[in-house]
Amino acid sequence: MNIIVAGGGSVGRYMAEQLQASGHEVTIVDHDAKVVAKWRSLTEPNGVKWLLGDACELDILRLASAVDVDVVASVTGDDEDNLVISLLAKQEFGVPRVVARVNNPRNEWMFNEMWGVDVAVSTPHLLTGLVQEAVTVGTLVRLMALPGNKSQLDEVTLSATSPAVDKRISDIGLPRESTVVAVVRSGQVVVPNGDVVLRAGDEVLVLLTGEAEVDVRQRLVG
Amino acid sequence: MAIFGRRKRLDDPHLAPLADGCTAIAEASARRLVRITGQVTKMRVRPTAHLPALAVTIADETGSATVVWSGRRSIGGVSLGRYLTIEGVAVRRGDRLEFSNPTYTLLPGKAH
Repeated sequence: MNIIVAGGGSVGRYMAEQLQASGHEVTIVDHDAKVVAKWRSLTEPNGVKWLLGDACELDILRLASAVDVDVVASVTGDDEDNLVISLLAKQEFGVPRVVARVNNPRNEWMFNEMWGVDVAVSTPHLLTGLVQEAVTVGTLVRLMALPGNKSQLDEVTLSATSPAVDKRISDIGLPRESTVVAVVRSGQVVVPNGDVVLRAGDEVLVLLTGEAEVDVRQRLVG
Repeated sequence: MAIFGRRKRLDDPHLAPLADGCTAIAEASARRLVRITGQVTKMRVRPTAHLPALAVTIADETGSATVVWSGRRSIGGVSLGRYLTIEGVAVRRGDRLEFSNPTYTLLPGKAH
């Protein structure tokens, strides 16, 4: 795939390196001449193209062939820039997938389709989710929102008091808008067909839509 | 004048033949700057988390496309039955093109 990464900081460079290494064509756009000159001369990340210019400008995005790329990732350290870049990518170039970095979690509410963002990645929220997931038993934790923000992946480690314990998955009565996608039991992934009986300590991963969350919580957490 | 010619054709009771310089909706491609002309056949305000968005379906005799204006509940002059020329870059959503916040021109023509 062809990918534009806007922002040549450590996040942008790391992403570009990983993506290029997995066989994608990556162009990094950064407006700091020193940064571009430095990494260009070091030819790092390997194989990645650098473009000097402000990705908030249409002409620069055009130069980066935004009309032909599959993904634009705007990962600058400035949320305003990330929103502008996302909007331009979607509105002016119809980029199928726009990923944006949220620096300040207070701004996350704006990173939605209105601004052309398909996927918003907020490190603080991600970390909070992971920490919660690591420390909590018997609470439904949202791990990630899936593109379009209509569905999400939730996780719960079943406590002994969960109403789902010792029941078959098909008997829990989960709403139609949800499905158990995996059960992790003592480090092993159990394929969750309806006959699997849940036990206390099981990590249950559920794919669901937002409205179903209350119901799912009731069935799995109590 | 081009505008005159367009008006003449749009007064046709059948859906107008394509206006000058416009692409038939069925042949318009995503991700390229295109101009389409069609009639508003459906209007809806999309409920989104924080701001409304006006979603309008524009149809010509070959097909239809969706046009979305963010942050609006209505746009003066954009009403059912109205003819519009839309210029912008569309994204393909399912089997349809979707324009977001494109340039639009209200054309003279019958509204319901």
